[in-house]
Amino acid sequence: MKRREISRRSVLKGSLMASALAGTASYFGPWKENRVWAQGAAKPIKLGLTCDASGQYGNSGQDDLRGIQMAIDEANAKGGVLGRKITWITADTETTPATGSRLAERFITREDCTILIGAVHSGVANAITQVAAKNGVIYLNTNSSAPSEAGENCSRIKFVWDGNGTNFSKASVANAVNSIGKKWMLLTNDYVWGHTTSAATRAQVEGAGGKVLDNLLVPQNTRDFTAYLLKIQQAKPDVVATAIGGDDIKALREQVAQLKLDGKPAWINNQQDWPDVWGSPDSLFGVFGTTWYHKLALPGVADFVKKWQATNKEGSIPVPGNVSYNGYMATRELLRAIERAGSTNNVKIIKELENLKVSATDRMQHFDAYMDPVTHQMQQTIYLARRNPKPADKTDLYEIISWTEPKAAADTDAQAKCKLVPYEQVPTVDS
Amino acid sequence: MFDLLPHILNGLTLGLLFALIALGFMLIVGLMEQINLAHGSLFALGAYFAMQLMGPRPPFPADLAQSWLALPLGWRYAATLILAPAAVGLVGIAIEFCMRRTYGKDPLYGLLLTFGAAMVIEEMIRLTWGTRDYVLQVPQAVNGGFIFGDLIWSTYRFYAAGIAVAVIGLVWLLIEKTSFGATVKAGAHDSEIVRALGINLTRLRLLVFVFGTMLAAIAGIIVAPIWGIRPHMGVDAVIPAFLVIVLGGVGSFWGAVVAGLLVGLAVGLSGAYASEWSLLSMYVLLVAVVTFRARGLWGKKSMLEA
Repeated sequence: MKRREISRRSVLKGSLMASALAGTASYFGPWKENRVWAQGAAKPIKLGLTCDASGQYGNSGQDDLRGIQMAIDEANAKGGVLGRKITWITADTETTPATGSRLAERFITREDCTILIGAVHSGVANAITQVAAKNGVIYLNTNSSAPSEAGENCSRIKFVWDGNGTNFSKASVANAVNSIGKKWMLLTNDYVWGHTTSAATRAQVEGAGGKVLDNLLVPQNTRDFTAYLLKIQQAKPDVVATAIGGDDIKALREQVAQLKLDGKPAWINNQQDWPDVWGSPDSLFGVFGTTWYHKLALPGVADFVKKWQATNKEGSIPVPGNVSYNGYMATRELLRAIERAGSTNNVKIIKELENLKVSATDRMQHFDAYMDPVTHQMQQTIYLARRNPKPADKTDLYEIISWTEPKAAADTDAQAKCKLVPYEQVPTVDS
Repeated sequence: MFDLLPHILNGLTLGLLFALIALGFMLIVGLMEQINLAHGSLFALGAYFAMQLMGPRPPFPADLAQSWLALPLGWRYAATLILAPAAVGLVGIAIEFCMRRTYGKDPLYGLLLTFGAAMVIEEMIRLTWGTRDYVLQVPQAVNGGFIFGDLIWSTYRFYAAGIAVAVIGLVWLLIEKTSFGATVKAGAHDSEIVRALGINLTRLRLLVFVFGTMLAAIAGIIVAPIWGIRPHMGVDAVIPAFLVIVLGGVGSFWGAVVAGLLVGLAVGLSGAYASEWSLLSMYVLLVAVVTFRARGLWGKKSMLEA
């Protein structure tokens, strides 16, 4: 019998092949498409939903998708938009910019999608933006909260619906410098959202008279934070401000809770996404930001939660959070804008969205919200929360401790950085 | 220097965990000459089985479940350290049955088969437990932290490193000091002679593969309280495992252990002093070693080398 020895070369060859297979598998599927064609009906408006199903933000991406689908279902139940049904297609963007870019291209050129919706990771959002801008396709960045998304990476065709790192820093940092202490350390996910969010926090800390002792950059997909926690203990800061997201923040929270480091120093976690919190509820600590909570005592919230639950019975998350909420709000406002514009022409829709104003009641938030026409970022209420010491039920994890009105938390730096191209330079798209 | 010591200690404990993760992978590559790409998924499966056993709804009939839950947490945890790897071992048996047609052929056949198995296992995990995260309960005695050198350390971290040392030692004893180990090594070296001596090679391969999958499961159980339990946690394990065995030299037991420690030190020290390099450092280390020593630290010498 011929003996085959395994060599380093065959191991490396194998690993290359495995990587290629993994990439190919995600390229070819799984694809999901929801067609609502009826014979003789008007041509549907087709949306491409660019949502992560795997990687660092896989859970959040799927929660985003639930909110987007809910808004589409509501519109279709009322007869669609401009008398046309809404159809959609989605595939896993894998929390990877290259995949996001490839899918956006495919959705636009092969699947005839005229609008793209969905993002959690700012690198993915920026990659999709490049493709969408080249084709004049409107893109809703539902949940990526890097300040750069409405700053240097803004685009005429892109609208950003989440609060960003600067908004949350403005709502929390100055108060913490004065009430907790001036020595800060930053723990930053090493990609665009982490960098831009920590830069905003640093500016706020130094502006309030505090000092940043160190900024520890944490590579994405870090699972073991012991080295960072030792470094923090050695430096003895008053406050640690984190810009860590997705699965990484869940691992960090568990390790901080295990060591009981959640009391001192004080922790300010920029924004916590509900899917990340629900994934590991016992280790929630520190003060953190959000744009919405399912137990806000405001009109419409309870009804929205019931409707969401009715359409998401099988899901792993029992109630909607900020991610699903942003996905829903973005899609709902887009569909309303098309209705108001009376057209699916991209520039007409863009102009409608640029002038968007939504009442607090309609937004289910404390203050009226508006779209900043200069940066294309939704200006909305920013909430600060901490772990709820007296939860009413197992989903009641937050105690909302403050809400800041949009103007007070506005990212004024973004306005200087954002340069939108004139309307004439946007390629015309009509569904 | 005093500031550096905690990070060296952290690097060594992390390195032991990397070595533990790579151990089952190394055994199957070294003794069976098969690349088991399902190693990461079996690692994850071990963590999920343990979580199910330690959780409020253990997978037993009602009476047995009640008696099981009445046991102290420490006893349940100790039993889980045996039961969960045993259950994963059954999955290993199924994979090994499928792999038999690939023996003696190009290693890529086995690689493709185990890659497929990895995808199937990960999807089964998603279907069974969903996409949410879970936490593995551990006994209070090994949980929490302790103060040493003015710093708070994780008790579990040292417990996990201790388990890694124990498992590495036991595997070494089994391979190097027992007749079973000698037969397995002989089978890997020259299967035809071993078969001619009347040894059942099919059973031998099955035992080695199942042993490797059980080691993957033990690593998953030990690492789960640090990394958390989620469907794609296997990917986080299989990549460092791959790297450790290439760095240590394919098929070398102590090469894998030393490589694990080096990777741990690289990640731990860079995490403290050049944090953005902490994950990249292991790849830089691999490139540095392989550039000067293509077969890894303790890899077999190629016939092409002078």
